Amino acid sequence: MNRVTCTIDGQTVTVPEGTALIEAARALGIEIPHFCYHPHLPVAGNCRMCVVEIQGSPKLEIACNTAAREGMAVRTDTEAVRAARRANMEFLLANHPLDCPICDQSGECLLQEYWDAHARHASRLRDPKVTKGKRIDLGDDLVLDQERCIACTRCVRFSETVTRTGDLVLLGRSDHQRIGPATGARITHAYQGCLAEICPVGALTSRSFRFRKRVWWLEEVDSICPGCATGCNVRVCVQDDTVHRILARRNDAVNRSWACDEGRGLYRELAAPERPLLGRVAGRPAAREEALAAAAARLGSARRPGLVLGGQATCEALLALVRLHERALPAARLFHVPGPDPGRRAWSDGILVHADKDPDTRGVRLLATCAGGVEDGEALARALADEALDLLLVLEDDALGRLGIPAAPGVVALAFHGHRSAAAAEVLVPVAGCWEQDGTYVNAAGRVQRLHRAVRPAGEAVPAYVALHRLGALLGVDLGCSTSEAAAGALAETISGFPREVGPEGVVLPPPLDGGTP
Amino acid sequence: MDLAPRILTARFGVPGSHTLEVARACGVYADLGRVLRLEAEAIAAQVRASGLRGRGGAGFPTGAKWGFVPPPERRQGRPVHLFANADESEPGTFKDRVLLWHDPHRVIEGTLVAARALCCHRVWIYLRGEFRFLQERIDAALGEARQANLVGPDILGSGFDCEIRTFRGAGAYVCGEESGLLESVEGRRGLPRIKPPYPALVGAFGDPTVVQNVETLANLPWILEHGAQAYRAWGTEASSGTRLFSVSGPVRRPGVYELPLGTPFRELLEGCAGGLRPGRRLLAVLPGGSSTPLLTAEQALGATLDHECLEALGSFLGSGGVIVLDDSVDPVAALANLTRFYAHESCGQCTPCREGCGWMARIAARVAAGEGRQEDLVTLEDLARSLRGRTLCAFGDAAAAPVLSFLETFRPAFLARVRP
Repeated sequence: MNRVTCTIDGQTVTVPEGTALIEAARALGIEIPHFCYHPHLPVAGNCRMCVVEIQGSPKLEIACNTAAREGMAVRTDTEAVRAARRANMEFLLANHPLDCPICDQSGECLLQEYWDAHARHASRLRDPKVTKGKRIDLGDDLVLDQERCIACTRCVRFSETVTRTGDLVLLGRSDHQRIGPATGARITHAYQGCLAEICPVGALTSRSFRFRKRVWWLEEVDSICPGCATGCNVRVCVQDDTVHRILARRNDAVNRSWACDEGRGLYRELAAPERPLLGRVAGRPAAREEALAAAAARLGSARRPGLVLGGQATCEALLALVRLHERALPAARLFHVPGPDPGRRAWSDGILVHADKDPDTRGVRLLATCAGGVEDGEALARALADEALDLLLVLEDDALGRLGIPAAPGVVALAFHGHRSAAAAEVLVPVAGCWEQDGTYVNAAGRVQRLHRAVRPAGEAVPAYVALHRLGALLGVDLGCSTSEAAAGALAETISGFPREVGPEGVVLPPPLDGGTP
Repeated sequence: MDLAPRILTARFGVPGSHTLEVARACGVYADLGRVLRLEAEAIAAQVRASGLRGRGGAGFPTGAKWGFVPPPERRQGRPVHLFANADESEPGTFKDRVLLWHDPHRVIEGTLVAARALCCHRVWIYLRGEFRFLQERIDAALGEARQANLVGPDILGSGFDCEIRTFRGAGAYVCGEESGLLESVEGRRGLPRIKPPYPALVGAFGDPTVVQNVETLANLPWILEHGAQAYRAWGTEASSGTRLFSVSGPVRRPGVYELPLGTPFRELLEGCAGGLRPGRRLLAVLPGGSSTPLLTAEQALGATLDHECLEALGSFLGSGGVIVLDDSVDPVAALANLTRFYAHESCGQCTPCREGCGWMARIAARVAAGEGRQEDLVTLEDLARSLRGRTLCAFGDAAAAPVLSFLETFRPAFLARVRP
């Protein structure tokens, strides 16, 4: 592709032909203020905030719809540009209710930020404001305030081009224009959280997050969604060791700027009432160490153990289990049971939602290859039916539930969820959920992505690789997985070609690992 | 000026002029068979040489506009669409409807000439929502033309195929803006599109498209028949030919008049429109529709009706909608009325226009009602200046123009109406 070189505020930048000035400026670290522009939506050019001065052009031009051209000289901070931004903010705020104290967007509202940075005017409006609909129930997780809306149409364009549902439209015209449901019906698609998230103002807010936290108290931790094999990049918003919401994190190769509602709601699993927070041995609650000791004792004496690699486990935990097999339990048989767990539907939508509800199935395949292969769910069901196993260690997934087997003798479960395998376990060790630990998943496309711990593990839970490392120690072997760093290092050593550093956007597995099927 | 040709109005008032029989008897379609056999470029060259400029408002040279459309060999199999724009929604403008009413066949003929020049085989005549009566008349004319092999396949044995249909919008001012018109045609809200891309490359349904005012099209048969030089004999250097002027306001004979461009305004006012009512004095003139900055009485009485003169006076020839104001008109109330129109018609798409038009209208109404303060006039002027040149389409400029020119011209009247 041809490249063009232009200057923006005196700095030279070379970009592919056709690149919008707003992106060319971004490449230089210059953020041009904008409301309607979104890198993953068609350009609308309606907010008129991103105006810039181009040498030789009689009028100010909008940076979102002007392509960089060879030799173009652009200025983003001239008096004319500043005056236009000030005037634009005066227009935008004229009929705005200015209800920041009770608005959920406060603290992450572009109107607030740009008023502060570019306007700082007092209202000159002496006429009544235009009034519109408030608190409109738009969907299960979506509330609309039409008065706060600036008609940027990001939500409309999202509905047209991403979900292709076309269920949000502009209604009316002039300053009585508003957005609303096309047919009057509520929005039912699985991306309502995206609408609330891309709304640059407080017009669309998420019902599940409204009025729960002021956003300036929240810290954001970059992580990965564990909801399916897509592995959407997310930001985990935390205060006081509690996750309050999940936002999408941009990764053009994985999820662009989106995340589905199912994934956004998964933080609730951290505090699910059925989640095991304590260990259990033979039906009695037990401290973690006691449960681990009981598990080690049973593993040590088992003659025909089976180990289940779970697709919800991190690569680090899978490695620890494979090493436990190698170093302490060479007689054990390895299994993997594809999902989903009971209660989760294996649906996909061609947007983000993947039919495989396990975030790390590719990780299982990689580690299984290292271990010389694994047996499938059918083999496990047969082994259990034939009583060919006297112990079954289940790592994270609900292996029994997936096989539709109500119970089995001698189950040792390392479980985050309170699922059937956990309930049926003779020994239960509680482990951390994904945002409670550092770790690695490999998504369906073979992209290695890093999880980052946002909150401490609840109760007695520890990351599964830590629990397995301890189990190894009790069995007299060193698995080298006592910390996430150690475990990640061990992964790179064990699987040749497995990336050690993956960065914020992850790294696609190199060949031959990318082929991946054992 | 008695010798001025009636290029556009020759058949006005002829009984039955809208029928094919009468139209043909009056010379419509007489030259069409020859013209359709010309090379496309030969037609375009004549039109370029004629200096014809668009009659819709912007006054863009027609030949140059066609030049932006890729020639057939660079269209990659995509069709070209031609839209005859009969939305005619500019306040004060009512010439296209009269033209279509009296002479639909000349418009059809002109449309075929343009289609031939553009190698376009499908044309729509876009009518505003209220023009149902015109749609019926044009559809009848198209039916007759089709019967006579003047529309449809292999027109008059020339080998040129062209189908023409009418399309009626839902009635919105911005649907007269070419890209708003295209959105309307595609079945969406009539919101102007951001440019680039321009319609000549990406227009209706993503195809190269030309949107042309119907009066512009009606000039084409005459130009092809008599030649560019004959056309250029009328008008001025930069404003060739004749134009239809719609005169409204407190004049004795409001109506549509055809005059060569460059004619003194005084002749239109006094000669054609019969002058003002007895005892009245000229106050001001909006020379090209409500969106054009007004001329003071003095400016207007010294002006000639052409692009050069009106632009030198800071206004525009626009759509030829000449709105006359006499001294019985309250300019403060007149501005309130105009701003109300723009507040009502703003499509609401872009920020300055959506918020600015309503705000300006509320201030203007309040000032007209005697409830204004001096600071309101400052705000009003600021808003109009902030609107100008900053919007997605030309509507913002159109809405700002009357505000700025009224405030400038009639400042004493406004100041007298507000409290300090």
